[in-house]
Amino acid sequence: SGELYCSLPNPRNVRFESINMKNVLHWSAPEGTGDGVLYKVKYAIYGVGKWIRKPECRNINRTWCDLSSETSDYEEQYYASVKAFLNRTCSDWVETPRFNPLTDTKIDPPMVSVSSTDRSISIILTAPEKWKRSPEEESLSLLQVYPGLQYNVSVLNKKTKKRWFFSISNNTLVVPWLEPGTAYCVSAQIHVSTPLLDSGFSKEYCITTLKDK
Amino acid sequence: KIFHLGACRVSMSMTEIRAGFTAIKAKIQSRDPVRTLSILSHPHSLHKVKSSDRCCMAHQLFTFYVDKVFKHCRTEDSFVNRKISSIANSFLSARRKLRQCHEQNNCVCGEESTEKFKQILANYEGLNVTSAAMKSLGELDILLDWMEKSR
Repeated sequence: SGELYCSLPNPRNVRFESINMKNVLHWSAPEGTGDGVLYKVKYAIYGVGKWIRKPECRNINRTWCDLSSETSDYEEQYYASVKAFLNRTCSDWVETPRFNPLTDTKIDPPMVSVSSTDRSISIILTAPEKWKRSPEEESLSLLQVYPGLQYNVSVLNKKTKKRWFFSISNNTLVVPWLEPGTAYCVSAQIHVSTPLLDSGFSKEYCITTLKDK
Repeated sequence: KIFHLGACRVSMSMTEIRAGFTAIKAKIQSRDPVRTLSILSHPHSLHKVKSSDRCCMAHQLFTFYVDKVFKHCRTEDSFVNRKISSIANSFLSARRKLRQCHEQNNCVCGEESTEKFKQILANYEGLNVTSAAMKSLGELDILLDWMEKSR
């Protein structure tokens, strides 16, 4: 088909937003364009010669496109590109910076489960899983992706407001010598030193130690 | 961080190297417009190197970066230049350890790593020196990811 004369302003801020390697391409509409703009998307593996069209993101009016499936091999790096169309004119293709799923993803906080005795609390942490195409697909913990993954754990004594911090590599922690019948709140974060990736802290999980026997 | 490469053990300040590269990655990669070629990852992926060949491949790659890449990557940006020389210094000391290991015959090159490294050099020589060096520098995370994948 004859190439349209592309005088439409370009889509802006074209970038990947990635959480646990769910890799979604986002962009902003071209400046000064109201409704009615449509887009198409293509992507490429860095070092491989061709662009690949994403059919599910052809003639779409939303400003995002999920490319998780196409970019799931985190031993590769990728580019993606967006083009806008409006009233028989179009924009240029606008590319992302090179995207490395391994270093450019964000990580969710770990799941935290807490139990207690009268003088201790036990904490079990679970790292999030890498994004997967379907529930049937085999799960891959981010612990397997990042061998150096650690947990930072915060424990707060609600009565005294005293807080402890622990940094652990395995996923269980027992905090001893606590006061019976006292509420403690636990929050945890994932820390990967290289590549440097820190999750936010999880919400607080509070538990009260059993009363003295 | 200690890397066990076959019989060789190499310690590297990976956190500093990564931080240095992350600080200049966007600037360096934006100077490499050729998306369809890679020095390190195509047609052969580093990630497919057998573990018995890891030491030799690491030795060859560190020598490659020290002798052929860093010295051709000067830019007009002093911040970028400082980060590059800091990374280069880390590579120099790692290369020294690998060379010692190589000289003690603990870092033998198999056919596979020899072939793969030949391809990397061919990819490099397929571009003019400055473009090849800048592209190689922009691919440092590919090397670091490979090194860290199975420490």
